[in-house]
Amino acid sequence: MSKQLSRRDFLKLATAGAATSAVLTGCGPASRYVKREPYMKMPEYTYNGLSTYYATTCRECAAACGLVVRTMQGRAIKVEGNAENPVNLGKTCARGQATLQGLYNPDRVENPTQQGRGKGAASQMDWDAAIQVVAEALKNNDPSEIAFLMGTAPDHLFDLVSDLANAIGAPAPVRFGALSMFESRATLSRAAEELFGQSAMPYFDIANSDLVLSFGANFLETWISPVSFTREYAQMRRGKPRKRGYFVQFESRMSQTAAKADEWVPLRPGTEGLVALAIGKLVAEAKDTAVPASFEAIDPAEVARTADVKLETLEHIAQLVVDSEHPLAVPGGTAVGQTNGLATAESVLALNAQFGNYGMTGGVYISPLGPNQDEYHRPASPEEMLNLIWKMKDGKVKVLFIHGVNPVFELPSHLGFLDTLQYVPQVISFATFPDETAVASDYIFPDHHGLESWGYQRAVVSSQPVLSGAQPVISPFFNTRATADVLIAAAQQAGGQFAEALPFADEVAFIQSKLSPLVGDPDGSFLAPEINMFSAYFQQHGGWWKNDPALSAPIASGALTKKLDPGVAEFSGEGEFFFVPFVSPTIGEAGANKPWLQELPDPTTTVTWNTWVEMNPETAHELGIDNDDIVEVMSEAGSVQAAVYLYPAIRPDVIAMPFGQGHTAYGQFAAGRGANPVNILSIHFNAAGDLAFAGVKVNVKKTGRKHELARMEGKVGVYEFRKE
Amino acid sequence: MIKKLFEWLLSPMGRVAVLIGALSVFSLAAYGIYTTQQPPEQPIAFRHDIHVNLGVQCLYCHPGALRGASPGLPTQNKCWGCHQQIAKTNTSPRLAVLKDYVQNNKPVQWVPVAQVPDFVHFKHRPHIAAGLNCETCHGDMSKVEIAENPQVMNMGWCLNCHRDRTADNVQNNPDNDPGVSALLHEKRTKLTDCGTCHY
Repeated sequence: MSKQLSRRDFLKLATAGAATSAVLTGCGPASRYVKREPYMKMPEYTYNGLSTYYATTCRECAAACGLVVRTMQGRAIKVEGNAENPVNLGKTCARGQATLQGLYNPDRVENPTQQGRGKGAASQMDWDAAIQVVAEALKNNDPSEIAFLMGTAPDHLFDLVSDLANAIGAPAPVRFGALSMFESRATLSRAAEELFGQSAMPYFDIANSDLVLSFGANFLETWISPVSFTREYAQMRRGKPRKRGYFVQFESRMSQTAAKADEWVPLRPGTEGLVALAIGKLVAEAKDTAVPASFEAIDPAEVARTADVKLETLEHIAQLVVDSEHPLAVPGGTAVGQTNGLATAESVLALNAQFGNYGMTGGVYISPLGPNQDEYHRPASPEEMLNLIWKMKDGKVKVLFIHGVNPVFELPSHLGFLDTLQYVPQVISFATFPDETAVASDYIFPDHHGLESWGYQRAVVSSQPVLSGAQPVISPFFNTRATADVLIAAAQQAGGQFAEALPFADEVAFIQSKLSPLVGDPDGSFLAPEINMFSAYFQQHGGWWKNDPALSAPIASGALTKKLDPGVAEFSGEGEFFFVPFVSPTIGEAGANKPWLQELPDPTTTVTWNTWVEMNPETAHELGIDNDDIVEVMSEAGSVQAAVYLYPAIRPDVIAMPFGQGHTAYGQFAAGRGANPVNILSIHFNAAGDLAFAGVKVNVKKTGRKHELARMEGKVGVYEFRKE
Repeated sequence: MIKKLFEWLLSPMGRVAVLIGALSVFSLAAYGIYTTQQPPEQPIAFRHDIHVNLGVQCLYCHPGALRGASPGLPTQNKCWGCHQQIAKTNTSPRLAVLKDYVQNNKPVQWVPVAQVPDFVHFKHRPHIAAGLNCETCHGDMSKVEIAENPQVMNMGWCLNCHRDRTADNVQNNPDNDPGVSALLHEKRTKLTDCGTCHY
């Protein structure tokens, strides 16, 4: 401060100035800063100042949760669950809530674009030219050389593409999603086929069970239908008077699901099948009944040593089973994503047979098919994706259509999907967002966002057949077009068999053709005499479902006599640590472009906006690693770098990383943030063709750099025990 | 330095300067308050008097007042529905602005005239249902050109009316009926409750 003006004087004058300007501006008219824009054309069912609500279906994953979206003056402003939909009964998860940030995302593909595989500048096209491109791609290629790669949602588009492929003699569309890979869906349905003789999705009646033994199934996070499982879990815990359900999780790291369990059993990865069989044998012994053939060869003491758990723990859990009325064992996640995953899944299903819960309350059933479904179409296993990649490499795919999936990001880079795209002369993406796969395509013909779209989605696991309906809640924001409409228009333009395959005026006419068999079904959630009224009710209620459960009981005869030998999983690589990649419960496989989800702390570590490496504090101490140290995680397939989070709830011989970040494209919020753990997975499949994603061993090297992870919890106090 | 300033302020020149300063602050404040009372400049100089005198009902353009919280502003479709049939629309320079908005599909950004703060939940419907006319609050629109606010819409003004209309007096209860009296009392409790408007 100068001598003329002391600090104190300066503050006095500044305060006086601020007060004067506050008085003067406070007198100004606030209304001058507000503008109101009326509609140019107001829909007749809209009232000014009153919200309009639309029922539709969430597209953030394929679980078919119903939504009711509040719109105000033509803008979607809030998402809630549809209370009528049997899948979620009015609930949503965080990803469902954040679907609005996809709708209003600043990075959406706004126009049909000639992308040129990211080389050189992309140029905009008009839709007539885009449809011309699709029509010529269909017409000028041999049908056997056309490939369709679809996501797990939406189902109506899968049906349309299946019909088209079927009619023109093209290979059936391949469906894939990172969630289905981490859920090991192919293994689950294959295990059902092996034991029950029927390829179907098993249904686990968690709600009515009173003891749930989950072998790596993270059903409160992302597994298959997390909202419906969370609801059922709540029912299991406190839905029954005087009896609180008990929950045990077998998993090498404490996931969000394990954190909710009464008991967490951190076993050695790859031994879940053996542990299931050991429990089966201990239960038989505790009940003093004959040990079924499946469990006979197992020595529980040996298993306890192999799995690195105490024999008393297994005996205690067996006693819990004996004491409970409706015990249930659920296989999934990392337990099944191993080289012995199929045998593990079969062992856990056999354990259910030992519990005697097939087709019983709180037991195992077979999920019913969707209302207009001919057979169970499971998503492709990674091995089937590899077959597609080989086919592409052999030049047998001349045009590849991709919708609703981002294989460049979601598949392990070691599978070589991105490199193989060069062997495909034409790649056409229908992506809504500029994801890695869309950026590497020749064209992006953007589909609407899910909230701007028509469609339907079938519930994968539900006691009754459910068809959740989708309708646009607002007019499309950008110059996008429904992929179904693009394909229909292109097929009409191509003429001949293509036009015959899709003889529809538009997407809505196609959907109505798929709904018409349901008209007049007496067991439906509503009755309508003809298709137009049916469609109107379908929109109003957000779908159609059967009133009565249609679960069927699996046949248990073979389950207890089959020789099961899961053994210990094989691990690839020479590393010191077991590597467990898991889907981020908040971000999922495609939520990284939504700041709400980025900002949402991970439920167990509270880390936001980044990827971390979970490491036991004792292990880290031995390696001289501290919180926020960037480490290199190296497998035989490659390496990634991320900052360490010291996590006491993980086995000292396990390293875990969340999947969901590490995008190189996908918009400003996702690109260049974190690391993608699937890129260090080497390619080993289990007997059902699912990737043994949890079957890799890694080494960890300190890089010497630090990156402070943004996290909610403090660092003081939690790891105090480490301070000497 | 401040001490010197105070000494100077006590000198005759200083006193004049303080007077000038105080006057300018006062007049600026007065001007600020004056501007709040002026009708704001609107994108279209819409003449309420002409439309009302032609017999257009308030609720024709602001139907939301009957049904909901907000009366709403008419869509351009509604303006154009009449104006496209009026020959003057093509010749009048004042209407050229409207024509420009409609033909270029641009939304009109109106400036609200009667406004309450965000923490007040004002609903039109119950006021219309209670038998109030639009002009009770908004003034006689057949006499104003550009919409303006006839009064300061503050809480005192709201409460005065709520109290007047629920007072147990000759006007509201001419026969001194105890039933009406109880009803008025109950109404007053509701209409003067904070939570009625601030929730």
